[in-house]
This record gives sequence, structure tokens and C-alpha cells, in this order.
Amino acid sequence: MTIVLQQVINGVVLGSLYVLVALGLTLVYGVLVQINFAHADVVTLGAFSAYFFIHGAGGGYVASIAVAFAVGAALGWLMNAAIFAPLRERGNELLPLIATIGVSVMLENAMLAVFGPIPYAFDSPLSNDVIRFAGTFITLQNVLIIAVSVATIALLYAFMKFTFLGKALRAVSQDRETAGLMGIDPDRLVMLTFVIASALAGMAGAMLGPVLVLTPFAGTSVIVKAFAIVIIGGFGNVEGTILAGLMVGLIESYTTQYLGPGMIDIVVFALLLVMLAVRPTGLIAEKREENV
Amino acid sequence: MTLRLRSRTVVAIATGLIATFAVAGAHADDKVIKIGALLPISGPGSYFGVQDKQGIELAVEHLNKAGVNGYKLEVKYEDSACSPLPATQAAKRLLEQFKPDVVLGEECSDATLAIMPVIEEAKVPLLNAGSSAIKITDPGNPWTFRIMPNEVMQGVDIANNAYKRLNARTAVLLHENTNAGIGNANVFNETFTKLGGKILADIGFGRDVNDFTAIATRIAGLGAVDVIPTYTLEGQGLKITQALMQAGVTKGGDGKAIQLGTIWLPFGFEQKAGKAALGYIRIVQFDPLDQRPLVRDFVTAFKAKYNQGPTHLNAHAYDQIILIADVVKRGATNAQQIRDALAATKSFSGVTGSVAFDKTNQNTSMDTIHYMETLPDLSWKPLGWN
Repeated sequence: MTIVLQQVINGVVLGSLYVLVALGLTLVYGVLVQINFAHADVVTLGAFSAYFFIHGAGGGYVASIAVAFAVGAALGWLMNAAIFAPLRERGNELLPLIATIGVSVMLENAMLAVFGPIPYAFDSPLSNDVIRFAGTFITLQNVLIIAVSVATIALLYAFMKFTFLGKALRAVSQDRETAGLMGIDPDRLVMLTFVIASALAGMAGAMLGPVLVLTPFAGTSVIVKAFAIVIIGGFGNVEGTILAGLMVGLIESYTTQYLGPGMIDIVVFALLLVMLAVRPTGLIAEKREENV
Repeated sequence: MTLRLRSRTVVAIATGLIATFAVAGAHADDKVIKIGALLPISGPGSYFGVQDKQGIELAVEHLNKAGVNGYKLEVKYEDSACSPLPATQAAKRLLEQFKPDVVLGEECSDATLAIMPVIEEAKVPLLNAGSSAIKITDPGNPWTFRIMPNEVMQGVDIANNAYKRLNARTAVLLHENTNAGIGNANVFNETFTKLGGKILADIGFGRDVNDFTAIATRIAGLGAVDVIPTYTLEGQGLKITQALMQAGVTKGGDGKAIQLGTIWLPFGFEQKAGKAALGYIRIVQFDPLDQRPLVRDFVTAFKAKYNQGPTHLNAHAYDQIILIADVVKRGATNAQQIRDALAATKSFSGVTGSVAFDKTNQNTSMDTIHYMETLPDLSWKPLGWN
């Protein structure tokens, strides 16, 4: 029973991390119907920003999360302003998609050149503080991961539902042209989407840093799962993404316990195929234009 | 005017030609041993490549000052990425473009196994220092030589020491799902079981696994575990060690289990793992405290060049180059002669230890293996088991 409960805790922590990464992906897809392959590298850069804020500038871990958030936001703005927006203006949907791959490869190799290939030991001071109760354990780092994920989801939900910008963003995702006729500037809203999505990715990097093996390839190792989560949850569906993230986290934990970690990818991607075959709209089926 | 211009042009062309021939002549006079290096420069095993390159460059710089039997050593690096496909492509590129007399590499067994047939076909000797899979030298390939103790030599030794010196009776095996990971774990399993020990779980995982909390939880639920032999690269190794501490399995987390590690981990692992590494026992391929003059000179030269102490990866790469220099001194100057001279090597002494190749081109010396235990201040205590 203790093991079952412990794996629930492990699964929720892992799922929370996946949700943090996948939320940005799903936001961009929901608004632009575009997959952002560079998202993984923003996660990695967020992790490195947090690391160097702590080890280079002597900052604290919690403050480093804010730094990673800001770095992610700035990078999102820069990528969209310099690359994706000009390409979108040409009217070819394929160009920005391919550009995200180019940006990803460029960022990865730039990080390799700057940070080197040797893994960094990104230790959060909270990783060594372990809370033990009823035979189970959780580190303070993992408590923070869950808390930040819940807070992020709540804030994002409130932003989307109750603020003018959030409503405008949903309007752009439903019908970009009509939203434009209503006085909304779609380009600014697309920029906002990239900034929010990349800020979330940067923050996810800071949360993942102590969990991941921190190298310039760190984000790549979680992004495939994040893509799977976005698909299982329903392309661009935020609620579906949250549900799918937690589900994949729990599946990973229980697969490790009862089948072995070597089976994780088989089980997760079998689920993905089943979802595509049986329920291609995802866990929470809505019309795409209502997803964000 | 025209004549003057023409004269100037002729002079310029003549000067250029003389200079070109002079340079070409100088190159033609240089006798060179071409060494191809297939190293992981990218990917999760890239720390091998970075550190290998340091060792290689130190040795080459030192040897080229005076030359080796009238020859200079020239090294060309290719990124083999610790993975079979990029390694094979890199090997083909190296053989076609650089035409080496000898090749160094790879570090990861899967990559080494993949490049062996390509290099054998080109009839160029391959000198390996970091791969442990038994298949590399069993049944043996006439063109592949291995300095490092193979997985059987390492695994049998670790299992024997775990059972006899640590009185371990139960073990959990943790390994990446690669030829080397599975092979090392299997050897430990067979030896430990034969001695009377019990394997409680054999847990393999892919290189894409990041979070080891679920694995540590599973191990914590297995009851009393004495030792946990672990076969992974550094990045995953760090996360495993920390997860085992958090789950209260190992000494760092007030548990009783002792993690056993291999040559795969670089120096500095303990400092990165922190408190979680307490009690970790692992083998290293190079003892920086070795008092032989060869080792002291190497340590001094390395510190002077890189402003840090050498690791065992630096050391085994250094040994690869000085072993090649040794066979060149013995008169070998082309691929066939280098192969034959390597095969005849019985008493080479390097900074990691000695080399004596058997019929399968496996180094039979075990003096490169040193057992170290991590103390609370994260320093090492040499256990002197070999």
C-alpha cells in the first residue's frame, strides 16, 4: 500500500513537470495551429539561466525561477519578432514550422558551444530536504514543483477566463480574421502567446533543472513526452493537457514499479496510438477553436 | 611601364611558387603517423570526448617536440556521439578523407562494436580504451585492441569483492539498456549468484529516463538490499544516486545499501552528487596518487597545461597515444606494422597501468583497476583491493 501511495506521489510530481512543459506547447498550438519544436530548447535555456543565476550571481533558487521565467519570455519575444512573425507574413504556414526546427538546432548547438557537453550538477537546496510520512517520502523540491504547477495552472486559467487579454487571445484562436475586425490586433496577441508559452517553458526549465541531467540536450529528453501529452490531451486543449500530463506521470511511475522502466515508452506511446485511433480529438473533446 | 609591371608580376609569381614549393617540400619531408580519433563530442557521453581530447593533445604536444623515431603524430577528430549510427558515419568519413594509420575510440561499447567491421575492412588498427562489452574482444578481431579491462574482468572482480569483502548477500542491478550496461549487469549477476548471493531486481532503463524517483521507490520496497551495482553514464548516474538517497536506500539517506560503480563515471562525480555519494564504492582506471615517475610527470604536465588535475579519462587517452608512440619506436610506421607491433605488446607501462595483449588483443593486466570509497567529505579512500 505504501508503495502504491508513493508511486502516486512520484507520478503527480512527474506529471506536474510534464504539464509545465506541455502548457506552452499547447498554447502556441491552440492559437497558431503550429508546433513549436524550439520549445524544448527554451526549457533548457531556462534551466541554464536558473543555474547560472544561482552559481554565477549567487542568487537563491526561488528567485532563479523568476529569472528563468523572464529569460524564457524575452526569448519568446525575440524568436517571434525576429523569425516567426516575418515568416508568417509570407502566408506560408510551413515556413514558421520549419523555422522552429532551425531555431531548435541553432539554440542547441549554441548552448553546446557556450555551456559545453559535460552535465551540470544543478542542485536545488530543497532537493536534500526530504519529508517522510507514513512510509512515504517527498522532497521539498517536489513539493515546490507541485505548488508551482498548481499556481501556474490557476493563474493561466484566470488569465484566459477573466482578463481582457485572455479573452482576446481566445478570440484570436477561434477566428483570427474576425478578431481583427473587432479591433483586436492578432499579431500582438500571437506575440503575447509566444511570450507566455516561452516564459512557462523557461520556468519549467528552472523546475526541471534539479530533476534533469542538465546538458544542452536536456529539454529534448522531455519534449517528446510533452508532445505526446499535448496529443493525448487534445491538440491545444489546456484542460486536456493537464489531465494527460498527470496521467502520463502516473503511468510512468506504475510502469516502473510493475513492468520496469524499459517499458515506459512502449506503454505511453501505445496509449498515444490508441488515443489517435479511438479518440483523435484527445481526452477532452472540444472543437479546436474553443480549446484555448 | 608595361614591362615593369610584367617584371613585377613575374617576380611575384616566382616568389609565390618558391614559397609554395618550400612549404610543400617541408610537409613532404615530415614523416607523419596519422591517428584518427573517434570520440563522442556531442550527446550524453560527450564528457568522454572532451576529456579524452585533453589527454591526447597533451601527449601529442609532448611527443612532437622531439618526434617519435623521426615521425610526427597528427590527430584528426571525428564526433562519433557514443552511438552506433553516427559512429559508423564518422568512421567512414575518417577512413576516406584522412586515411589514418591507426584509429582511437570509441568510448561507448555500442559505438565501438558498430565501427569495428568498418575499420577492419580498411585494415587499420583500432585502439580502444573505454568500452567494456565482452564482444569487442571475444572471440577477437585481429584489428581491434582494448587497453581497458572488459566487462567480465570488471564484473567478476566487483561481484567477488562485493560478496567476500563487503559480505553482501543481496543486490539490485541498475543499468542502461545498452550492450555494455546489460553485459556488465549479467556478469555481476552470474558471478554473485554462483557465490550464493541473491539478485532482488534487475532494472534496465533507456538513456532518455530522467526521473529515477520511481525506480528508487521500487528498490526501497524490495527490503534489505546490500549492494546496488550501477552501470550508467555520469548524468543518469548522478540522478540515480540522488534518488536512492532521497528514498532512504543508500548510506547518504541513512539507508544501508552501498552503490557500486564502474570506470564509466568521471572524476568529480562525488562532488556533483554531494551527500548522496556517501559510501559509494567505485573502480577508477587511474590512481592520481600513484608515485611512479611516469605518473608524477603526467600529473605535473597536465596541471601545467590545463590548470587542473587529470581524470582517468584524460589518463587513458594519454596512454593510447604513448602506446602508439611506443610501437612507432619499435619500428612500426604503417597500419599493418602498427597492428603487428600492438599485438606483440607484452610489457608496456602507461599512466593507468600496464598493457599486455593476449590472443584476442585484450589487455590482461588488472593493475588499472583501483577501488575507491567516498568519504563524508566527498574525498576518496583507496581500498587497496587489487
